Amino acid sequence: METNTSKNFADEVRAIPGGEHVEMCYSCGTCVSKCMIQQKVEPDYNPRRLLRMVMMDMREEAFASPTTWMCSACDLCYSGCPQEIHISSVIAAVKQLAIQNGYTSPLDTVAVKEEKCSGCGICVMACPYEAPHLIEKDVDGVMDRFAEVDVNRCMGCGTCVAACPMGAIAREGVANEDIVPQIAIKSKTTPSLVVFICDWCLRVEEDESILESYPDNVRVIHIPCSGRIDPQMAVMALASGIDGVLVCGCAPGECHFKRGTYVSQCKIGLLDKLIQQVELPEQRVKFVQIGTQDRGRIRLEIDNMLSSLEIVKEVA
Amino acid sequence: MMATKPKLAFYWAASCGGCEITITELGMRLIDVGDLVDIVFWPAAMDFKYEDVEKLADKEIDICFFNGGIRNSENEKVARLLRDKSKILVAFGSCSHLGGIPGLANLYDLENMLERVYDTAPSLDESRGTRPQPVNKVPEGEIELPALQPRVRTLAQTVEVDYFMPGCPPVVDQVWAVFQAALAGKLPPKGSVIGAGEKTVCDVCTREKGMSGVRITEFKRPHEVELDPNICFLRQGVICYGPVTRSGCNTPCLDGNMPCRGCYGPPEGVLDQGAKLASALGAIIDTDEPEKLQQILDSIVDPAGLCYRFGMAHSILNELKYGKES
Repeated sequence: METNTSKNFADEVRAIPGGEHVEMCYSCGTCVSKCMIQQKVEPDYNPRRLLRMVMMDMREEAFASPTTWMCSACDLCYSGCPQEIHISSVIAAVKQLAIQNGYTSPLDTVAVKEEKCSGCGICVMACPYEAPHLIEKDVDGVMDRFAEVDVNRCMGCGTCVAACPMGAIAREGVANEDIVPQIAIKSKTTPSLVVFICDWCLRVEEDESILESYPDNVRVIHIPCSGRIDPQMAVMALASGIDGVLVCGCAPGECHFKRGTYVSQCKIGLLDKLIQQVELPEQRVKFVQIGTQDRGRIRLEIDNMLSSLEIVKEVA
Repeated sequence: MMATKPKLAFYWAASCGGCEITITELGMRLIDVGDLVDIVFWPAAMDFKYEDVEKLADKEIDICFFNGGIRNSENEKVARLLRDKSKILVAFGSCSHLGGIPGLANLYDLENMLERVYDTAPSLDESRGTRPQPVNKVPEGEIELPALQPRVRTLAQTVEVDYFMPGCPPVVDQVWAVFQAALAGKLPPKGSVIGAGEKTVCDVCTREKGMSGVRITEFKRPHEVELDPNICFLRQGVICYGPVTRSGCNTPCLDGNMPCRGCYGPPEGVLDQGAKLASALGAIIDTDEPEKLQQILDSIVDPAGLCYRFGMAHSILNELKYGKES
């Protein structure tokens, strides 16, 4: 695609608030070494390279790069950058230009089922990326209100999916019907434990393999973000006879989806209050926040949870 | 020869009486009801005794509207009796449907509750240490009181229920619509919620709703804030049950500038109204200052009373505390 603008690409990026520091990058690559996306899902993801493309006027290559679309603005790279460039803002500026030039997000994003949506706006307030908004629409002659999702903003974290009371917003793999059936433990070994684990809080392969090392009384359910947890799923697990529920998210300030870990903290915090007031054993649902420096901690948390559940069972 | 009129019964168990009043709110339409049906049992309004019901044949009552939860042995006995005698049994109103306000007593065990009511309530001058007794000896002989049960149960946790009609109380227009549907034989499949909508209260609420980036930094109670009548309560930091409550009430609370209290119960797909409310609320709390999160949560006064105002007896937490009901 040829562009007729007199400005070069770097000038355009700089003109967008947040994009102005692009030329300060001297390509050290510290950002890449910090980035979880590069390490976990997309080897071609590379902020250093994207910033370089901007400086070298590689417009179309930048617009098509996965880096432009996959950055969730977790800002782990920001603290590492010796030039103190707010890299996610630069990437956002590139993304804004890409959208203006007709590109759309290649990510799996949520969609709204209008026949279920009540237009309550909870998803609008919940989303860390301001992707959903409310629209009014004529339905058989009556104006009705629905949520609509800007797919170019949605990062697919699922925070809205858990917040929506009607199950009206979801994407494949993250819907209630995808997650709820996984909450089942057949093993007779006790105590039984469901671990909801955020896809991002474990940073190394060794930690991932710890999850697989437990026998089948420990059921691990992967969720894109701890913000996807719905306290209903936790109480359903307990009601089905499962002894405990452990929810793992990122440490504060390190959440891959900006605010998901706080959302989860609030939800489990509220559930704790309900459990206390109803006078049920409090140790059966727990939320932990695992940081970038916490290698191996997942084993400790699961083992601790299992032994505290054993005590709960003995008391009962 | 006159065709026999359908037979109708109304009963109240553990409830406040509001459900009875909603039926009298039919006003002149009650005369039409009287023309179309035989009311065979309605102790709140007409002189009937339990013997009158016992004399009926099984399934002789065409439709019974039963309001109130099951709190004592009398409630249970009459629920079983009316189940046997009725073709269609409708759990009428929040207490019968979900346990209602009396269901909040399930937060406490029976002895704690009695102690509060009979010994420590601030309205008591002094406690006489009395407790309700199932059998009392008086000079004239023995009198019996129904025995309190350990917890409040919904009607469906006690007997099989055909339809659920939510509301505290069900609004009169819905009552009339259900009467007409029942008389015309046009009720939906058994097990359905009737006299209510499909979506949530927010669907019919006309207030300006949530905006991106606007989140809750402090929970306030309705009396602590001057409420803008045109803006979503949640946006104003006041907890509204609308997002997790079935529509159909015609929004009298919202019109009175008070948040939804949740009496119409959960919409289809929500299994635990309180846990779902926690899921929605937790997602819209502001996170700019993470160290303040606990403080924000602590600003919610009586979370269980709030989240389970009408649905405690029906909730999964109740099931975890008391075991699953039959």
